Amino acid sequence: MTDLPRPSAPPVSAPTPGGSNLDVLKHQFQQIWQVLAALALIYMVFFVLSEPFRSFDTLLSIFGQAAILAILACGTTVVLISGGLDLSVGSIFAVVGVIVGIVLAEYRLPVPVAVLIGLAAGALMGALNGTIQVLTKVPAFIVTLGGLTAYKGIAEILASGRDLSRFPENFQVLGSGYLVPMGIMFGVALLTGLFLTKTRLGNHAFAIGGNEEVARLSGVNVRKSRIYYYMIGGVLAATAAILEVSKLNFAMPARGQSYELFAIAAVVIGGTSLFGGRGGVGKTLIGMLIMQTIIVGLSYLGVGTSVQRIAIGIIIILAVYWDVWRRPAR
Amino acid sequence: MTQADTATPLLRARGITKHYGAVVALDAVDLDLHAGEVLGVVGDNGAGKSTLIKALTGAISKTAGTVEMDGKDIQITTPTEAKAAGIETVYQDLALVNELSITKNMYLGREIVRDTLFGHLFGTLDFAKMDTEIRALFQKLDIRITDIYREAEAFSGGQRQAVALAKTVMFGKRIAILDEPTAALGVRESKMAMDLVRSLKDHGLSVIMITHNMQHVMNYCDRVMVLRLGRLAAVRDVADVDGDTLVGLITGAAEDKVA
Repeated sequence: MTDLPRPSAPPVSAPTPGGSNLDVLKHQFQQIWQVLAALALIYMVFFVLSEPFRSFDTLLSIFGQAAILAILACGTTVVLISGGLDLSVGSIFAVVGVIVGIVLAEYRLPVPVAVLIGLAAGALMGALNGTIQVLTKVPAFIVTLGGLTAYKGIAEILASGRDLSRFPENFQVLGSGYLVPMGIMFGVALLTGLFLTKTRLGNHAFAIGGNEEVARLSGVNVRKSRIYYYMIGGVLAATAAILEVSKLNFAMPARGQSYELFAIAAVVIGGTSLFGGRGGVGKTLIGMLIMQTIIVGLSYLGVGTSVQRIAIGIIIILAVYWDVWRRPAR
Repeated sequence: MTQADTATPLLRARGITKHYGAVVALDAVDLDLHAGEVLGVVGDNGAGKSTLIKALTGAISKTAGTVEMDGKDIQITTPTEAKAAGIETVYQDLALVNELSITKNMYLGREIVRDTLFGHLFGTLDFAKMDTEIRALFQKLDIRITDIYREAEAFSGGQRQAVALAKTVMFGKRIAILDEPTAALGVRESKMAMDLVRSLKDHGLSVIMITHNMQHVMNYCDRVMVLRLGRLAAVRDVADVDGDTLVGLITGAAEDKVA
């Protein structure tokens, strides 16, 4: 890698402008306005084309349906920013769903205990993904592809011969309706955003994803940090799984299938770099809303799920193309 | 023997060796750095200059060799240990993370955490304090960058090098090691960077500087060591040597003064 000076950049002696809080805000807004505009545009198109789409209920359902995947995608955002990749979160989702189901339906433990056990299981599986990578240096793609099938198998073994349904009522509250999942989604996004922007470990995710070698030479504990990012991905996959089990009032190992791909899609559509170093959860929320708006809007227009999938596929490619195109050439 | 050899050096490295498989990148190189001096390291491409400083600063593990500071043995096996010993390094092409703001780059790995229980528990960053310190330092060093919230990639090569050098001023306690501080810089930017190198010395740091620029050796260094093919070829007081002789030592054709 060579860093040649870019001819367009200002010379050293010229003072660079800015520095006030307003400048900082402006700078942050510059990074997000394009995806916000895209979301507004897509919403407007369906608003014009479809009468029932215009209702407030539709808007609410877009948010509500996005909530569970958006929570999972917040974890994916952290992992991708750090230059990692976790294809196994859909399977972690399945394992946690089954574990929480067993704890509630068979052992009849209190709801908070079940939730804590579920979150701990998610953290453990995420940590395992990270640890294997750090110790073996096998690429993230392969380690988590292994996790994708292995965790799925664990979920199936755990669930076999069990009836995991009819949970206590105070558990069903978590995922019911749109408002509670939405509230949890915003809470998770806020916490993850604060983690990424305001804490040392969060900032190191950008540093490691941006240039791992510079981070290492600067004294960042790259290996330990990486394990933490995968743990966060696991915990948020678990959070999403708990909400879904609550919403459906049953648990089964087939849930969570392809969720990792939807999450990656939302993260990338939002503008977080697939190459690491840039991004944020605000962008991911917008990306998820873009995806959900298209799905809901198209179905209001009578377009079937197969065509919806094609549309989402094209948008993913366009989003990554945009990411590649705007990256400065090195 | 140069005059400085009589005192105990600040840094004394002996027999620094680095093998990459069968390739000997560095073969038993000795280095003395005295307090308050600027030591130039010159040599052709592949002479082992970068390998030497990476081995000294724990960026790579050395195959053999010992390092003493103030006459006492020290072990430097990681960049963090080098920093703890008061050694700051600007590696070529590896100084800043493009995606991070100037503030975050300056403090990467050494962030200031809010001085509250919550802050220490969760590592929440005190950006206001970091910004204030950076602005004060930039003013002192005459680095005219105010939008320090902007990502490093938005700045020119000269500005980026200025930031990297400012980082060594901020954190360097004993020694600054610089790998080609003016590589890929224009004439005016080079002058600015070299002024900063001089101010490192004014801030009480001893400097080891790799360079390809003989003018910089003559103008800024007190002594110069020449590496050739992984071996120490010569050490000279700059006052006793001229550019042509140095080039001759670098190429191994000391008698061919036009080389």
